[in-house]
Amino acid sequence: MTDILQILILGLALGGVIALMGSGLSLVFGVMRIVNLAHPSLIICGAYVSYWAFKLWGLDPIATLPIAALIMAAIGVLLYRLMFESQAKSARYSEMTVLLTFALAMIVEGFLGAAFTNTQRVTSPEYATDAFFIGSLFIPKGQLYAGCVSLAIIGALTLFLNYSRLGYAIRATTQNREAAELLGVNVNLISMIAFAIGIGLAGAAGSLVSFVFSFFPAKQWEWIAMLMSVVVLGGMGSVLGTVVAALLLSVIAAFVGAWVGATWSTMTFFLALFVILLIRPQGLFGEKPELA
Amino acid sequence: MSELLQVTNITAGYGDGPAILDGARLTVEPGKVHCIIGPNGAGKSTLLKAICGMLTIRKGDVVFKGERLNGLRPDQILRKGICFVPQERALFPKMTVRENLRMGGYVLDDTKLRDRRIDEILERFPVLRERADQHAGTMSGGQQQTLAMARTLIVKPDIVMLDEPSLGLAPKVVQEMFDIMKMMSQEGVTVLLVEQNALMGLKNSDWGVVLDLGRTLFEGPAEAVLADPRIQELYLGGRKVA
Amino acid sequence: MAVDLQQADASSVLEARRIHNQKLARQHDQTRATWFPLVVLGVLLALPLLQLTGNYNYLLHLVLFTASYAVMASGWNIIGGFAGYISLGHAVFFAIGGYFSGVLLARYGISSLLTAPLAGLVAAICGYLVGLITLKVRGPSFIISSIALLMIARILFDHWGFIGGANGMSLPVTDLPVQTAKLPYYYAFVLMAAFTVWATYRIKHSKFGLGLRALSKDEVKAESAGINTRFYKVLAFALSAFFVGMSGAVWGEYLTYLRPNIFLIILVSANLVLMCILGGKGTIAGPVVGAILIVAFNEIFVATLGASEINILATGFVMVLGLMFFPNGVIGTLARKGKLPRVLNWD
Repeated sequence: MTDILQILILGLALGGVIALMGSGLSLVFGVMRIVNLAHPSLIICGAYVSYWAFKLWGLDPIATLPIAALIMAAIGVLLYRLMFESQAKSARYSEMTVLLTFALAMIVEGFLGAAFTNTQRVTSPEYATDAFFIGSLFIPKGQLYAGCVSLAIIGALTLFLNYSRLGYAIRATTQNREAAELLGVNVNLISMIAFAIGIGLAGAAGSLVSFVFSFFPAKQWEWIAMLMSVVVLGGMGSVLGTVVAALLLSVIAAFVGAWVGATWSTMTFFLALFVILLIRPQGLFGEKPELA
Repeated sequence: MSELLQVTNITAGYGDGPAILDGARLTVEPGKVHCIIGPNGAGKSTLLKAICGMLTIRKGDVVFKGERLNGLRPDQILRKGICFVPQERALFPKMTVRENLRMGGYVLDDTKLRDRRIDEILERFPVLRERADQHAGTMSGGQQQTLAMARTLIVKPDIVMLDEPSLGLAPKVVQEMFDIMKMMSQEGVTVLLVEQNALMGLKNSDWGVVLDLGRTLFEGPAEAVLADPRIQELYLGGRKVA
Repeated sequence: MAVDLQQADASSVLEARRIHNQKLARQHDQTRATWFPLVVLGVLLALPLLQLTGNYNYLLHLVLFTASYAVMASGWNIIGGFAGYISLGHAVFFAIGGYFSGVLLARYGISSLLTAPLAGLVAAICGYLVGLITLKVRGPSFIISSIALLMIARILFDHWGFIGGANGMSLPVTDLPVQTAKLPYYYAFVLMAAFTVWATYRIKHSKFGLGLRALSKDEVKAESAGINTRFYKVLAFALSAFFVGMSGAVWGEYLTYLRPNIFLIILVSANLVLMCILGGKGTIAGPVVGAILIVAFNEIFVATLGASEINILATGFVMVLGLMFFPNGVIGTLARKGKLPRVLNWD
């Protein structure tokens, strides 16, 4: 019994981080209909920011989270301007943008690989290797902190989307871009802001990831498939769905990892993706299957 | 002539595709209902989209109250006072009727004013009042069209452009839409209507415009357009045309 | 021909409409040059004669490398170009073909040159089964599923002892002398490329090809027009897997070893997509032109920059530039402007 509880706790803590990793992806897809395959590579960029800040100046990765988020958000604005703004009127929008993000993922991987090599890195603040003990249960501090910070950020994001005027405009653009435009929303500006927030979230997730997982530039492909299965299960574009799916899948993965073997734990996500596509292509919270 | 909106010889199309509009012109006079008719593919909807800024105008001018609108974004044109209700009605299916109305007043900075106008509208359209907290996507076609048209009144625009408000609606409901349109007109809103059902559209309008082959072929009082034998022959079903 | 109904009568409007419609129906240049690909094929078949005068192995290697990619990119074009389903997982079929023939070669000594069509068939069957699942969704979801397919295959191949796991397996090295060692593979790839180009041409001009192009524009409408879209797209996926698998089979023997981190990497998939995009997706000549361009780029990058990270960076960069400035590819862009030289019009 304690075994099960133990695995559950570990799964939930990781799920929180994965939720944050996926939420930016979901937001960008929701507002702009862009499947951002470069998202994981940008998370890794954020991770490097916190990694080097810790390594060079001993700064705590949670403390450097806002910095990583801001840097990545600024990069998001730049990427939007350079690559995606001009695609808005393209007749093959969804295909073009996904290929662009794919190419971007390769550029980022190539750049990071050339700059920092493909050595495995991990930020190691004291709490990363420490744990709380409750009876026979242990809760790794790093994962607990990361999970809590993640959920706090997602909570703030949800409040922002539901109650601010900007959030209103973002939600309206998500639901019906053309209608929002006709009602006076500057959808181009809103898209840019949403994209920047999405990439900023990638940066924030990167800071947390840097002490929860080990990372290196080529790790992105594993994460793409993992995050995509989370986002697809959550119903592309729904931030709440992403959180639920992330918690669910990472708990399942934790059980698979404990009972079957660590290799098959990552496999859980990929197989889940296939099962979801087979049974319920629209995901848990999605509207209808993509058939346009 | 005291025109409100003057469109002169514009050329426009989608993306880098061929020009759908090529030499369309239009004069909109305040307070009247204008109806644009023409066969499929004539460029009727394209003309409205070009005016509201959704398409880039390649040549020609759109002048509103003496000011050129070319190159402005849809949100900027809306702020000038031109509202567009597209064929798809532009609703937010997962927002409630009230939230949809609030989005209609997105450009109003005074939220008190906005809420007061929303209350007025709900007062005037009992159909919407009864469903104020229902998701827009769950309403019938006629109710959705009513919402889309009523929503334009929040910003008190000078011109409302309606793209085929009768599309996909039962004949009885179609007349209700025209009644709402007339009511808007009586309140001083200038209406620019695109209608597939030319006969019905012209009967409910003051001014008729015939658009074909991407250009304006004829303009005149609605009765004159209805009465013209050539127009009857070409567009009102007098003779089968290729 | 400006008509004003204020003055004109009805019949002149009808006349103007007829002229207008003619103008809209863009006149396509229907002349295609079948002789050109045949001449190219003839030249390539005769090329190894150069070996009589010296060592041109590097040139032969470049041609066979390009031809192998031309086979795969043309194959990818069937599902990605004709049907509009962008797959980033085709490296899986490359690996399936390579490993299938590789195992036969290593265990029973049967040359991959003989088993390549069979390997293609195995890849096609796998493609058919996978397609039944993943082709239920389209657009972004499909692309994602194709990446997941690649990840799953990578984990399986990495942990499957029978085929050597992550270390892969070595294949017997040919005992032909240096001068002729490359020739069997050279001819295999050149002939496969010719066959693939011919096959994609036939597919494009068949009822099946028309159906694929219809469903790439609007699946619901295609379905309501009586096309069995589900069967069509799964078949297209299987066909494309066939060509990629066949190429993989020969490539494995040519390389003399099989390893997941060579066959099952996203860069292989990316190259196929990139070739089709740069050359012109959905055209017959496009993938071939794209393969030539990308192999040339790669050679230049590897020769001047070396490191694989830089290679990834450069590939991504070329892809971004290609997508942004030539979204229709070389062939597509030229054809749109009506400037496509006749020799490149193979459609």
